[in-house]
Amino acid sequence: MRTTSRLPDPCIISFSLIGGLIIGLTVLALLNVAATQLSDIPFLIATATDSGVINAIAVTMGAGLNAVFILMIVGTPLAYVLARTDFRGKGVVEGLVDIPIMLPHTVAGILVYLLFMRRGLLGAPLYEMGISFEDAYPGIVVAMLFVSAPYYVNSVREGFEKVPVHLENVARTLGATRFQTFTRVVLPLSVRHIFNGSILAWGRAIGEFAAIIMIAYYPFVISTLIYYTFTTSGIKASSTVAFVMILACFAAFIILRLLTRYTGRYDDRV
Amino acid sequence: MIEFDHVSLRLGNFSLRDVSFKIRQGDFYFILGPSGAGKTVLLEGIAGLHSPQSGRILLRGENVVGIPPEYRRVSLVYQDYSLFPHMTVAKNIAFGLKMQGVDRHTIEQKVEDLLAAFNIGTLRDRHPLTLSGGEQQRVAIARALAVDPDILLLDEPFSALDPLTKEKFIEDLREIHRTRDLTIVQVTHARDEAMRLATRVAVIIEGKLAAENDVERIFNAPETCEVARFVGIENVLEGRIVSSSDHVVRVETGAATIIAVSDLPEGEEVAACFRAEDVTLAPPSSARSSARNAFEGIITRFTPMGPLMRVSIDCGFPLVATVLRDTVKEMGLTPGSSVRASVKASIVHLTVR
Repeated sequence: MRTTSRLPDPCIISFSLIGGLIIGLTVLALLNVAATQLSDIPFLIATATDSGVINAIAVTMGAGLNAVFILMIVGTPLAYVLARTDFRGKGVVEGLVDIPIMLPHTVAGILVYLLFMRRGLLGAPLYEMGISFEDAYPGIVVAMLFVSAPYYVNSVREGFEKVPVHLENVARTLGATRFQTFTRVVLPLSVRHIFNGSILAWGRAIGEFAAIIMIAYYPFVISTLIYYTFTTSGIKASSTVAFVMILACFAAFIILRLLTRYTGRYDDRV
Repeated sequence: MIEFDHVSLRLGNFSLRDVSFKIRQGDFYFILGPSGAGKTVLLEGIAGLHSPQSGRILLRGENVVGIPPEYRRVSLVYQDYSLFPHMTVAKNIAFGLKMQGVDRHTIEQKVEDLLAAFNIGTLRDRHPLTLSGGEQQRVAIARALAVDPDILLLDEPFSALDPLTKEKFIEDLREIHRTRDLTIVQVTHARDEAMRLATRVAVIIEGKLAAENDVERIFNAPETCEVARFVGIENVLEGRIVSSSDHVVRVETGAATIIAVSDLPEGEEVAACFRAEDVTLAPPSSARSSARNAFEGIITRFTPMGPLMRVSIDCGFPLVATVLRDTVKEMGLTPGSSVRASVKASIVHLTVR
């Protein structure tokens, strides 16, 4: 037995080589842009410290966080209902949750615009109350919310489904109400899925462009800024802005992963 | 204490159909049945986790259908113990008291008492996933008893334990039942557990209540053939009573005539049941014994069972006997040997079909 080769079997090796193409493509693209950008450090620093760029990044990430925050409040209960109940028409509800994944982003943008524009079904009464969505920060948030909701709901739902029903049953017999069971048992055991769902949704929100510009061309989110720079100042200026965004995203995700490395780890072994 | 009144409950693949029985205060009540018979659904019904489609479930004489589990004072311990993995042992035990709004000082005191009573004080700050099966079980029982329930429901509590731990735990359970004024309902498919602990037993087969009686009656005088087979009576021969006189009846099965002691009338369709260990084996030519039932047959198979040997015999109908292994050796029995199998008439139990 000791003479058995330590090498993984040929199947795993060939799968790794084939799968490596995807990783290779990403690495190549990143190296390519990094090589160009790092050859002109002063311009890179000037761009990175430009208030327009900083504002756009802040607006993008902030609005994304805002959307995720709303999703946590609204999407978490929905995910629990979908995870724990069976009802007639559940398939329809699941389909409605998933629609934003399939829709072209421009279509999503039109749907959001029609609903939230100044004369829109929801936009009009809210405008009366002083909340404007057109070319305003709230417009960016609702567009992001619409496109990122399915990612959050589906991944949190998966987390809830993984909590054994027996744990909830035991909690109930020990005197916990359904809501107490949810907050004391289900939520703590789903922390990792909630976190992963939030990251996915946030990433999706940050990346949105088409749906946002339909309702809010201003204030610039980073995608709008890059597209604007591309059409007005050309590829060099816009790729530098893009590179700054890449660095910002990397930093944000690495920090998040480090901060939550040990969060909810017990549930890996459930 | 607990009463099921024509309860029908359907849940996915499991269902209970028109189940009625009563559990008295202080019973150690066993619900026996093969896997998938709907036993766990029944327990969860008592706990209030599922509502019946029809019928009533009464606790302490009160219909509790529609009353949520948190108001029923019924604790449930699952087969997998279902400890909360994100809480320490002490927090698991304290959970129920905390949910019921008990003040912190009382909770601490009670948790300490239970940790000591179950000899798990050293596990206080451990997380459940680092505990052995036996340790998890003790924590689960302590957690269930912390809230002073009237009723303790146990779902296959021994199935994941090694034999030694299981023995210890059976003794513990007997003690808990004796010292606390507790009604225990335990679900299992293992007959030996019921024989050792139960005061009363219900047998559930395919969602229906097949029998309900005192533990001796269930095991020694089952009411139907399927219950007889389920409680481990291996010889069940169906036939009809052809004559009856002075409490002695003759049952004609087609392949054999069996003599039994019974008051059942002539013409009744019955099944003659007797345990494999009640069958005695002798050489075929041996002199008559006092046993009224004797069948000549040929041994078809041996199955070792610890110190015992299960002997399958073809007497024109299949018959099973268990004898000591030494007996097999001394009598020189081998597959193909002819033997005479005999059973006393007084030991044959008749069930009406």
